[in-house]
Amino acid sequence: MTQPTGQGLMQRTGDVRPDPMQGRDYSRLIQWAVAAVLVVIVAGPLIPILLQGVLSAPLYSAENSFSLGNFTRLFAASGVGTMVWNTVAFALIATVIAQVVGASMAILIGRTNLPGRAWMGEIVIWPIFVGHLVIAFGWVTMYGPSGYISMFVRSLTGVQPWDLYTLTGMGVVGGLTLAPMAYLFCIGAVMKIDGQLEDAARSVGASPFRAMLGVTLPMMRPALVYSTMTNLVIAIEMLSIPLLFGAPVNISTITTFIYQNGLKAVGQPDYGLVGAASVMLLAVVLVLIWAQAGLMRNAARFVSVKGKASRVTRLDLGRARWPLAMLLGGYIFFFIILVFLGVILRAFVSFLSPFVPIGSALTLSNFQQIFDSESHVRAILNSLTISAVGGAVGVAFALLVVVVAMRSEFRYRRALHSIALLPRAVPGIVAGLGIFYMLIWLPGFSILRGTIWIIALAYIMRYVSLAFSSIAPAVTQIGDELDRGARISGASWWRTMRDVVFPLVKPAAFAAYCLLFIQFFKDYVTASFVTQAGSEVIGTSMLGLWNNGENGAVSALATIQIAVTITFIIFARRIMGVKIYG
Amino acid sequence: MADLVIQNFSRRYGAFVAVDDMTLHINDGEFVTFLGPSGCGKSTTLFSIAGLDTPTEGRISIGGKPLFDSQTRTRVPPERRNLGLVFQSYALWPHMTARENLAYPLRLRKVAKSVQQSRIDHALSLVEMTEFAERYPFELSGGQQQRVALARALVYQPDLLLLDEPLSNLDAKLRERARVWLRELQRSLQLTTIYVTHDQFEALAISDKIVVMNKGRILQIGTPTELYERPSSPFVADFLGSANFLDGQVVGQRDGGSVVRLRTGAELLSAQHIAEGAQVQLAIRPERIVIRDGVGDNTVLADVGAEIYLGSILQYETRLGEEMLRVQTTRRLGEKAHLHLPPEAVMLYPVN
Repeated sequence: MTQPTGQGLMQRTGDVRPDPMQGRDYSRLIQWAVAAVLVVIVAGPLIPILLQGVLSAPLYSAENSFSLGNFTRLFAASGVGTMVWNTVAFALIATVIAQVVGASMAILIGRTNLPGRAWMGEIVIWPIFVGHLVIAFGWVTMYGPSGYISMFVRSLTGVQPWDLYTLTGMGVVGGLTLAPMAYLFCIGAVMKIDGQLEDAARSVGASPFRAMLGVTLPMMRPALVYSTMTNLVIAIEMLSIPLLFGAPVNISTITTFIYQNGLKAVGQPDYGLVGAASVMLLAVVLVLIWAQAGLMRNAARFVSVKGKASRVTRLDLGRARWPLAMLLGGYIFFFIILVFLGVILRAFVSFLSPFVPIGSALTLSNFQQIFDSESHVRAILNSLTISAVGGAVGVAFALLVVVVAMRSEFRYRRALHSIALLPRAVPGIVAGLGIFYMLIWLPGFSILRGTIWIIALAYIMRYVSLAFSSIAPAVTQIGDELDRGARISGASWWRTMRDVVFPLVKPAAFAAYCLLFIQFFKDYVTASFVTQAGSEVIGTSMLGLWNNGENGAVSALATIQIAVTITFIIFARRIMGVKIYG
Repeated sequence: MADLVIQNFSRRYGAFVAVDDMTLHINDGEFVTFLGPSGCGKSTTLFSIAGLDTPTEGRISIGGKPLFDSQTRTRVPPERRNLGLVFQSYALWPHMTARENLAYPLRLRKVAKSVQQSRIDHALSLVEMTEFAERYPFELSGGQQQRVALARALVYQPDLLLLDEPLSNLDAKLRERARVWLRELQRSLQLTTIYVTHDQFEALAISDKIVVMNKGRILQIGTPTELYERPSSPFVADFLGSANFLDGQVVGQRDGGSVVRLRTGAELLSAQHIAEGAQVQLAIRPERIVIRDGVGDNTVLADVGAEIYLGSILQYETRLGEEMLRVQTTRRLGEKAHLHLPPEAVMLYPVN
């Protein structure tokens, strides 16, 4: 190397200012603003719910006093004991089925030489993208009392083969709806297990099957525990299946109770009772989420990957290969493909029955009905706008929360982190009710009343945790010396975020956007208390049509939702290169 | 101009004390190395100077300008300190080319485009990276990234250059060359530089002054020669180079030095003066021991044990009673050897 000469570089000529800061530094202002907005959108809906739980009169009433009267009334009300039992039974049946089915599928698809595992793995997660409401419609269309398959089987056997309008029926449908979620968590864990761990078990004398039982299954434990708790929470707060299957036969759960007493009540809703029920539901979910965090504390015991991807060894199923493939294929055909097919088919016929040839019933009138109605067209456009714009705003906001919580010296960053994760524990129906209360309760928000922006705000509040959790790992992966390098070079915190961190998390932000788009597009529960004529979304319109018994139009709307979602996913995967759920 | 003054600086994490009441003065233009084992507080000190860590107590100032003062609650944010920092991992921004990495601090200082270009060209030529200006970090080798990182830290005329183990990710040969090169570059820039390392050879080769740290405290400050020749404690003697330690007691004074009786009963003279009766630890470096053909002054007879071939030299493990003594020599030894310990090489440390 030659002798370096550096004199000139260090000679101060006045063309480089030693102090780089020119103009104002907005870092602190931004940090406080992000914190303030987060607190408002999270606390805004929660505080009125909690208040309403212990107020004697409706929230907006001038004469009010604190009391536990709502709770005593709730527990004294006839049918509340049954309602709690129904909720618990439904959630437990659904969760157990979801976990057993999901984990088995994950092992079969991720760890064995099952024929057709690649395409089966793709189809298995379809239900996640479209939401429970559409799936529930599909089940009713195919397996309901006058469903296509039910009638077909009845015509062969002469008896009604099954009844979905029971607690068990609801639980089974709920479980099969939640199974893809369990599968997704487990397949992630299964694919990460180091093949050498199974090889090690084989080398000390375990048969392939023993190795799987002794090594693979325990390694899946964190994923199993985590997804069990997640599914339990989703089942407890689920509205769609209890509403569609339970309500007609008076099987009431806590969500249908809140929904019907808070929204559909004749005359004046009993706000106190609904508030108390919401507080109860919120408390149960909070305890479950808290328990989940506790159970996950030792998860590091089961972490086997240390950066390097290793080859996946597959268990040879031997003679069981084809029978198992048939079994899984049958499951996929009957409980996923036929369910989707039910929705789509029903949208294109005037009447769906095994006794009427489909060809003779083909029609576009269902779609005609949707597109002729100003409010249904508006619902579709509203859903699209809320998902596209609200999703973008939500991701931008979540990204700001992530960097303030994880990449700043902001004094309350830890608190901010916890607050950002809190909405995960707020059931959609409670969030929806809370947003409705917030409109009345927080001054200034009433201008959003009746607009789609209050719905977008509700969704952003509800899914800020999801966006946070999907962006945070990417931010963690950016070595903090990259921001430190920028700071020392003269960049303020905000400039560092803009110039260094944001460009580097762009892919994760895109993925989070796709996730939010899909969630926003399929959600309706959160919106159900604040939608009015003019601010309908697809989900609320579907429920409205369902209540009027217009099944064809419901299916047409559901089909449109499926089509938009598929288009979006293809677009996201192909054009933006985003991986959505693997 | 840019003297760095650290006064009563402490950094605590809960009950753990990372740096304990440190006071240090670094002169303008000096190349100072913080040396110590991992967890000794050297990096904490460096990052506190940079403003990337916040001291619990104390005062840090450059050229009289306070950067941190716990009493007046002064805390200049890192971006206003005008310091250059080279990270162990280099921390080049992966979405910017080498040139863009260098341009960023200049852009922040609103330097005119034409001046930016000439300064970047100058800085890149200084680190001999001109031809790689348009490459992205992932297209550069470790050594090249390290030089771009250095150029990035220099291009905006920082008042102080901070280096956090910048050579530790290079392979051995490259590291030795980079050491010489870095030293010469610093001399020609006359830029006050603080270098953090746990590598004693690096510290000896590169520094004007070394600050040896352990468990959050400064053990000794001095030039490389001073530290190597006159370590103030057994820890420093052992950490810089290596040393043999023997237990003993001062039994008398002679020729301005002290006579020490070892556990074997043998008596040795040290040039150091220590009060009679004191229990001491006697230290001597393996390469300072001389092999003699027979008995003589300050000479002990030791049993020769294992031989280790080090290429340029042989190292023997010899036994003196219960205690072990490593000896470096070019001679092959038999079963026993007469070891001469020159009085000026025998260092004494009183045992409390």
